[in-house]
Amino acid sequence: MNLAAAAAVAAPPCISLRGVGVVFAARGRPVQALADATLDIAEGEFVALLGPTGCGKSTLLRLVSDLLRPTSGALSVRGAPAADARRRNDFGFVFQEAALLPWRTAHDNVRLPLEVVGYDETKRSGRCKELLASMGLADFGHSYPSELSGGMKQRVAIARALSWNPSILLMDEPFSALDEITKNQLQDELLRIWQREQKTILFVTHNISEAVYLADRVVVMSAQPGRIKEVIAVDLPRPRGPEVRDTIEFVEQVRDARRALMS
Amino acid sequence: MTATAITVSRRGQLERFGPPLLILALILVVWELAVRLLEVPPWLLPAPSKIALRFGRTQDLAYHTGLTLLEAGFGFAISAVLGLALSAGIANSRFLERGLFPYVIVSNAVPIIAIVPLLNIWLGFGITTKIVIAAIITFFPIVTNTTRGLKSADARILDLMHSINATGPQVFFKVQLPSALPFIFAGFRIAASLSLVGAVVAEFYGADRGLGYLVITAATQLRTDLLFVAIIVLAAIGVTTFWLFGFLERRALHGAVEQERPR
Repeated sequence: MNLAAAAAVAAPPCISLRGVGVVFAARGRPVQALADATLDIAEGEFVALLGPTGCGKSTLLRLVSDLLRPTSGALSVRGAPAADARRRNDFGFVFQEAALLPWRTAHDNVRLPLEVVGYDETKRSGRCKELLASMGLADFGHSYPSELSGGMKQRVAIARALSWNPSILLMDEPFSALDEITKNQLQDELLRIWQREQKTILFVTHNISEAVYLADRVVVMSAQPGRIKEVIAVDLPRPRGPEVRDTIEFVEQVRDARRALMS
Repeated sequence: MTATAITVSRRGQLERFGPPLLILALILVVWELAVRLLEVPPWLLPAPSKIALRFGRTQDLAYHTGLTLLEAGFGFAISAVLGLALSAGIANSRFLERGLFPYVIVSNAVPIIAIVPLLNIWLGFGITTKIVIAAIITFFPIVTNTTRGLKSADARILDLMHSINATGPQVFFKVQLPSALPFIFAGFRIAASLSLVGAVVAEFYGADRGLGYLVITAATQLRTDLLFVAIIVLAAIGVTTFWLFGFLERRALHGAVEQERPR
């Protein structure tokens, strides 16, 4: 068991769900989007939510960030309601296909949250440049999203989510639209960022090997109704690099996760 | 290099404007010859040369044109301001959407011609009635397009904004309004030509000035050449405003290449 998972036992959890359920009204009929979800996530832990479409992975992110209230059960972030954490601007979002504002340059997209959270105005531009440089985009600050590749756009989106230094990153299939090479590069970059900045990351994906490669624990979910099926602790050493993908242990972990998903 | 560039751009202009101008010249020549050779009476179809002469001889043409432009412009401006405000409300409030949208549709369903006499009773035959008619007729395209545009804002960005406690005005001005710009301009383009229709139609009823008055006078007196003059001026205004809004749109949307554009 790695450090973060061990700490989860002792320290109070960063995010705690107790029997959380969400029911939507779709065309007048109630639809159970998430049922009886119980999960503790430790400070600094990297947790992947793995499951098919419609299993409530994205719903879970919206619950944690207080964009959605649970219909039943209890949810807390650092021992208080999720709304408190939201008011502190604890959550950084990264979406599939970047979701940048097309009329803003890369620099100004990273700047957007800084304008909202009340970041010191004189330091905004410097912060944006620093982040873009750290994502290898120093020369692309003036480029519009339409002029950037998919991978570059996603780097901008990550820089945007990091800009005001939130402590929790919520990532909704951020790399699923990228080609394999770019995806692997960004996965490694994300691991470096996570290791450096000690953030808690909730990472939604439907890619089994991606979940295993990145996460401390993989939360395997099933659809209709969305529920947590199994939580697998990934027993692979840190820091992980591309060579990990070729190890027997990695292949076995992926196999276990796939079995849990298919069972 | 520069000389070549200029030559190329001149050739581009020639290729663009050459053919339509040539066709126009051809039509005018055939028209002129046909009217002269067949001795068509001028009340039925005046020769182009006669219409051109009438242009110079029409007293106060600039005054009539200016007045109609003023009515259409004021009506459009009032409608744009009220329409944008109403759309902001409708796009952000389910209550306002349900409560007001039926009336927006009704405002479009009632034939404008039937309202003019009513407004004449209430507001008289002066400029006010014309402005109000121009405002009413432009209201629907502005409100529907703007509302659709405001609602077209990326739901993920809205989530992002809410997760960092953005205020209503921040969401509106940083996300919703820029997203809506292409739609707003599409609405404005339609509204601009409609505002002219509204002003002219209102002038049909008991006005003593304006292009609509000129049209009615010319028609009742069988002064067909004058009728042509009024029609040509109206057409020129229509083309100019269409071009002007296209120009403004390109300026405003500079850089937003990727943005979805309404047809």
